Amino acid sequence: MNIALRIGDPLSEAPAVNREKLEEIFEDIRNHQLFDHELHGCLNCGICTATCPSAHYYDYSPREIVQLLLTENLEGIYDAMQEKIWACAQCYTCAARCPFHNSPGGLIMILRETAIKHGMQSAKDVLKPYTRVLMKVISTGNQLAPNMITPDAFADWGPNIAKVKAPLKVLRKAIPMPTMHTMDTAWEINIKTSIELYTIWEATGVLGQLETIDPNLFDVVTDLMDEKRDEYEEWLEEQEG
Amino acid sequence: MTGHNPPEDTQTTDTYTGFGNEWKPVKLSREDANLATAWVETRIDRREMLTNKDKVQDVRDIMWQLEKDGEIVVHRITEQHQPVTGKTLYGWNKRIPTNQLWHHKSCGQCGNIPGYPTSLLWLQNQLDIRYLDETDQTSCTAWNYHGSGVGNIVSLAAIFLRNFHQAYVSSVSQGLPPGYYFPLVHCGTSFGNYKEVRSYLLQSSRLREQVKQILGKLGRLVDGKLLIPEEIVHYSEWLHVMRERIAEKQVIDVSNIRATVHPACHVYKMVPEDVLYDDTVLGGNRVAVTTGLLQTLGVQVLDYSTWYDCCGFGFRHIIGEREFTRSFAIDRKIKVAVEEAHADVMVGHDTGCITTLDKSQWIGRAVGKVYELSVMADSQFAALACGAHPYKLAQLHWHASPFEGLLTKMGIDWEKAKAEFEAYLEDVKEGRIETLYDPKRAITSGPGYVKPQPALTEADQ
Repeated sequence: MNIALRIGDPLSEAPAVNREKLEEIFEDIRNHQLFDHELHGCLNCGICTATCPSAHYYDYSPREIVQLLLTENLEGIYDAMQEKIWACAQCYTCAARCPFHNSPGGLIMILRETAIKHGMQSAKDVLKPYTRVLMKVISTGNQLAPNMITPDAFADWGPNIAKVKAPLKVLRKAIPMPTMHTMDTAWEINIKTSIELYTIWEATGVLGQLETIDPNLFDVVTDLMDEKRDEYEEWLEEQEG
Repeated sequence: MTGHNPPEDTQTTDTYTGFGNEWKPVKLSREDANLATAWVETRIDRREMLTNKDKVQDVRDIMWQLEKDGEIVVHRITEQHQPVTGKTLYGWNKRIPTNQLWHHKSCGQCGNIPGYPTSLLWLQNQLDIRYLDETDQTSCTAWNYHGSGVGNIVSLAAIFLRNFHQAYVSSVSQGLPPGYYFPLVHCGTSFGNYKEVRSYLLQSSRLREQVKQILGKLGRLVDGKLLIPEEIVHYSEWLHVMRERIAEKQVIDVSNIRATVHPACHVYKMVPEDVLYDDTVLGGNRVAVTTGLLQTLGVQVLDYSTWYDCCGFGFRHIIGEREFTRSFAIDRKIKVAVEEAHADVMVGHDTGCITTLDKSQWIGRAVGKVYELSVMADSQFAALACGAHPYKLAQLHWHASPFEGLLTKMGIDWEKAKAEFEAYLEDVKEGRIETLYDPKRAITSGPGYVKPQPALTEADQ
């Protein structure tokens, strides 16, 4: 049974998530090094929700998120982590306007990180369409590449993705910044830069996050990283030789 | 600036007061309802909406103290960078370097809206600004973090420090001293993220200790210390302080153009105290960048009721849940700009916003929401006004929104320009490519790098 269905579904006969698990999740949230920076108190004024773009379209309220965390409503927090936290558009209008200096948008990021840390199925599901982007950003440091913008992937953008008909490679070469004559990254990236980035990913636990939410993607990305490192090592050896 | 008025037919009898079962119609007269609405609007549209809080600290005070204590090194803005001082939300000074700039590119701009950065560099060429566009940089990775939750404050901080350290030492590859170039951030999300990360770094010794180990391993410390930039500077701030000089290069009269501005959330809502405000721009009540530039160029800048709304980009939503993105973009931004302001163009200053507002219009036809509004970055609009080629330089062919009518209204023959560009593509196929700078300068280390001759001096650059 999908554990995500047990909480927040009054018709479900499944037992609730055990208390120890809920406390463990909350402890991770509470101990996040930015938690005290993002949450200070709440007047329940609702200015955050009134100005929230996601509240227009989703069952989502930044005020509710703040209240759940302030009151340590563990079941409610767990419930919100199944779906609601992924509705936030991360615009930080809530944070800019909160008279208490709270950052509901920042709290959402703590909750998303925690959902990933605990390998919640909801996080895995919601990030499935994100696979290509994750692979690109972890392996190259660029989130978006010209050859990712295809009519298939962006059919709703219409027929005018490029208003001049020519091969993508030619159009890219016609951009007057030489660093942008690329197809599979947004700009040409020095190989040394990529190697440094991989060190950062490894040292900060980002690869561990990736492995938790998508082990197959993790394997592909680490293979790419190994190839790039080998390439750089070879170049260094050539220089010494 | 042209204001908007509430609809004449505002009917007030169905408004309610009280709570729960106590709710009842208030039956305000139209006059009283307008009075109440006006009361809200005087506050909602004012600077005090962002300043109605206490305990706001200028983290630069911590920065100078940490430098004094010998814990960090500050990449200073000096006279060589020809700084211009602007004012931020609380009236604090912010020095904007105007010369010797290290371009910190945006993955979304370079991948999808290439005319955005090319227009900026072209403007800098017109003004004889020295700059470096190099390959030794990653994106800030904050788009990914805010969309997926993959990443954390330590990874974001390490990437910030790595990129800004490279900006500091990049000049060494040209035989110039470190610190010669100062980083200029292109992306609004990078700008917001870097402002936030710098603030965390300055406030948290734990975070500094965490990233110091990583930066040390990368060889990215200065005298064994973390390098922190004196300011995080967005390119729109550079455009703002340079707007008079840009206007001197203007060759096209744009006084007939009606523009709306979309202020980007990550530019002015993330760390809101650290972005330029100007009492001469909208009375200092809104962020000054872009609007100040357009007004200096003579554009009619129109107000609209949802100016403060985000664009709908959503970071995750633009990738995997675009129903939200396009609905919000059309209903809350494009439709309003067209119907309320009768705008010819919406001008912005951030990657995600330009992408969303530009690309989300076509699909509106599926539900009978047919709105057509040209969307572009402030750098592109300014470059066009200064005579840049709309295709070769401003690269407008990558935009999905209809810009042709705007160009015609500006007196630019877009069909002729398009034909010129298509002819140029034949040259490109043959390898005859025009660039804004010498491509050799883009590589500062590793494969392809050529060490400068010992005699190379600044004047040779």
